[in-house]
Amino acid sequence: MTRALITGVGAITPIGLTAHDFWSNLRAGESGIGPITCFDASDLPVRIAAEVHDFDPTHYMDGKESRRMSRFAHFAVAAARMAGEDAGLDIAAEDPSRLAAAIATGSGGAIETMDQMEVMRDRGPARVSPFYIPMMAPNMGACQVAIQLGLRGPALASVAACASGLYSYMEAKQLIESGRADVVFAGGTEAALHPLPIAGLANMKALSRRNDEPKRASRPFDAERDGFVFGEGAVVMVVESEEHANARGAHVYAEVAGGGLSCDAYHITATREDGSGAAEAMREALKASGIDAGDVDYIAAHGTSTALNDASETLAIKRAFGEAAGRMAISSPKSMVGHLLGAAGAVGALTAVMAIHDGIAPPTINLENPDPACDLDYVPNVARKMEIRAAAANGFGFGGQNGCVIFRKPAV
Amino acid sequence: MASVFERVRDVVVAQLKVQPEEVTLEANLVDDLRADSLDIVDLTIAIEEAFADTAEIEIRDEDAENIHTVQDIVTFLNEHGVN
Repeated sequence: MTRALITGVGAITPIGLTAHDFWSNLRAGESGIGPITCFDASDLPVRIAAEVHDFDPTHYMDGKESRRMSRFAHFAVAAARMAGEDAGLDIAAEDPSRLAAAIATGSGGAIETMDQMEVMRDRGPARVSPFYIPMMAPNMGACQVAIQLGLRGPALASVAACASGLYSYMEAKQLIESGRADVVFAGGTEAALHPLPIAGLANMKALSRRNDEPKRASRPFDAERDGFVFGEGAVVMVVESEEHANARGAHVYAEVAGGGLSCDAYHITATREDGSGAAEAMREALKASGIDAGDVDYIAAHGTSTALNDASETLAIKRAFGEAAGRMAISSPKSMVGHLLGAAGAVGALTAVMAIHDGIAPPTINLENPDPACDLDYVPNVARKMEIRAAAANGFGFGGQNGCVIFRKPAV
Repeated sequence: MASVFERVRDVVVAQLKVQPEEVTLEANLVDDLRADSLDIVDLTIAIEEAFADTAEIEIRDEDAENIHTVQDIVTFLNEHGVN
């Protein structure tokens, strides 16, 4: 069975408009969280977010195309183009039916629904944009990547809340292993910054209210954590069959070793406090990868900075990895980029891949006073140079969907 | 004050992302300005909104069926009191 290799990386994030800028800022512990600027948040209880600044979609597509897609699709297309370029892939020279897209999202173009509702209310149904539906539909991240890049194999779009991005790498691996595709552009995208979801999440008490100290607001595993920080962005990586990558002499970052999924089947928002659901996904990922728990050196944790997640994820890691849990480095990219929801799993995947590639575990920032319930090694505040043979990325979604994907150093 | 044509041209340029010099009176929206059926609906909404302060106009579906060129838009507006 052919192996699925990561040969290109692309990202649009609050801490960098390329995957490599993202990674260098992540290693340096730079926070991308600040006051909300894309709308007036003054009457909301939460006025901070991890926004993407200075993004111009017309750098990645023509102006007319950019008018016909929502910001979440802009991000996906931009990240996919960069991933393709980073992989050195000449798409025009490929058989397009062998190229696929797997781009997950949490809420798709939900901001278009909110905006067009106002148009309909204020100006009547005749003024509703004919582009509303194709901008809003959550499959359009995958389909716009396919349209813009010319990928005529399967276009998949998983919706699994905050685990979504991880599903894409499992789908990509299956498409490669089954022989259906040579190359899959896989990742996640999210752009739903709008007063309505902020208000809804704030009323769930899910969001940090540390409005006066935005850069200190996301503090996974810290005793003073008070919720996650809403973010936006996208990560897309090129997943390629070993034969195809070798034939063109591609640079290989890492191999997609295997993934595991499970559902808590428990509560709409709360995770099982004993971590048993999340542990199941991690155990399945280990099994699918054929990797021993002791050979996983790093985990890009879900680490949301909510009271419940960080404690139950800690228990889940212990359940799944046993005594090896105490020896591994674990950190949360969300401490810097906030929670990118449907793209969060892909952010974790990119973090795991780059950690393996460069031999560096990025830090968990703002970890000043660890919660006694969070007693593993979360690489507090400063990145660590270390050999990373295999790394896992965790993602857990509302509804109880759990995902874990394990990447490993490519065999040489 | 900009002419009706100039105002229409500005809307067409903004909506269809074409160059101003492409937008002649004779220009066909589909063949010359690369609009598809969704663009034309979007354009008619933008025209209604752009001229809302001059006249309360409504481009109905049956009106839109007769709009093929930039001249057709200008003519429609002239016939509805926009000069």
